[in-house]
Amino acid sequence: MISDYIVPAFIIAIILYSIFKKNNTYNSFITGAKSSFDLIITTIPYLVAIFILIEVFTISGLSNNISNALSPILSVFGIPKELSELIILKPFSGSGSLAVLENIFNTYGVDSYISKCACAVVSSGETIFFVSAVYFSQTKIKNLKYGIPVALIANFLGAVVGCFFCRFI
Amino acid sequence: MNIIWTSLTIICLCVLLVTNPNLAFNALIDGSEKAINLGIKLWAIYAVWLGILQIIEDTQLDKKIANLLNPLIKYLMGNQHPETNKQIAINITANFLGMGNACTPSGIKSINLLLKNKKKATNASIMFLILNTTSLQLLPTTVIGLRLLNNSTNATSIILPCFIATLCSTVIGIILCKICSKFYKDEN
Repeated sequence: MISDYIVPAFIIAIILYSIFKKNNTYNSFITGAKSSFDLIITTIPYLVAIFILIEVFTISGLSNNISNALSPILSVFGIPKELSELIILKPFSGSGSLAVLENIFNTYGVDSYISKCACAVVSSGETIFFVSAVYFSQTKIKNLKYGIPVALIANFLGAVVGCFFCRFI
Repeated sequence: MNIIWTSLTIICLCVLLVTNPNLAFNALIDGSEKAINLGIKLWAIYAVWLGILQIIEDTQLDKKIANLLNPLIKYLMGNQHPETNKQIAINITANFLGMGNACTPSGIKSINLLLKNKKKATNASIMFLILNTTSLQLLPTTVIGLRLLNNSTNATSIILPCFIATLCSTVIGIILCKICSKFYKDEN
């Protein structure tokens, strides 16, 4: 598969470029790797909050009800109904989507069709409400006109097309 | 998020109280344990990837890519001040390379510059927002990493569908934005 070569080739190219530029590659890598500590410390509380919610949401049976309610709509677009939680959560929370993704991997198997579709949904775009709140936070503008609906539709359609292509791998 | 999280948790806990009260506290601890486990996996992924991204930053490779974007920015957002263009280019490059941390500061700066002395959101600022929410990303590094750590037999197989998904969302976003901007003219 050609996709096996993409990541290593990308990394080799960057390291070669760094050597060419006479950059201290080792020091750069250590500096970057160090910053992962701060990132993960800030992320974990969000993960805990969202996983607790997923857990009570699942065992209380509400998750099942909502999946069943949404499944006819999702199936029209060719998205497996098991992804309804992910589809709902995605625009609100990035770490939450990763939590649901991990949950889907554990429930349905990481190489299943459902899990692959979940990857496409997660990759389709960013956390819409978070990004728009943060980016406009220093302006006084509240009304984003057509911004949010366009963002939601674009990401959803991207996910639909991604799921379609998951059938072939 | 506060309202959503609190109300949903309360509703679920109340349902559990009626149906299965002995499972409620278990669920909280179980959820927390899973979160910490995922956190450790993500840490492994971020440590590798942030290391590589730092190499990109230190060699100024991201600035090089950013310079190539000027014609595209001009097409999507019209003529803007050079400083605005620069911030937008840095932001789009950071998105493309998956440098999540570098997106936010340049994103906020770009919006501030795009909306300087404006009372309402402009079409250019909404186009910029759409580029960020649909975020065209070269490699879904976190997703591949998570697949690896869950013992996938072919973790990178999803690169193509993921790229198609992010490409489609971005292209559709740009088209819809261009259409909508015809109906919402900028006011001065």
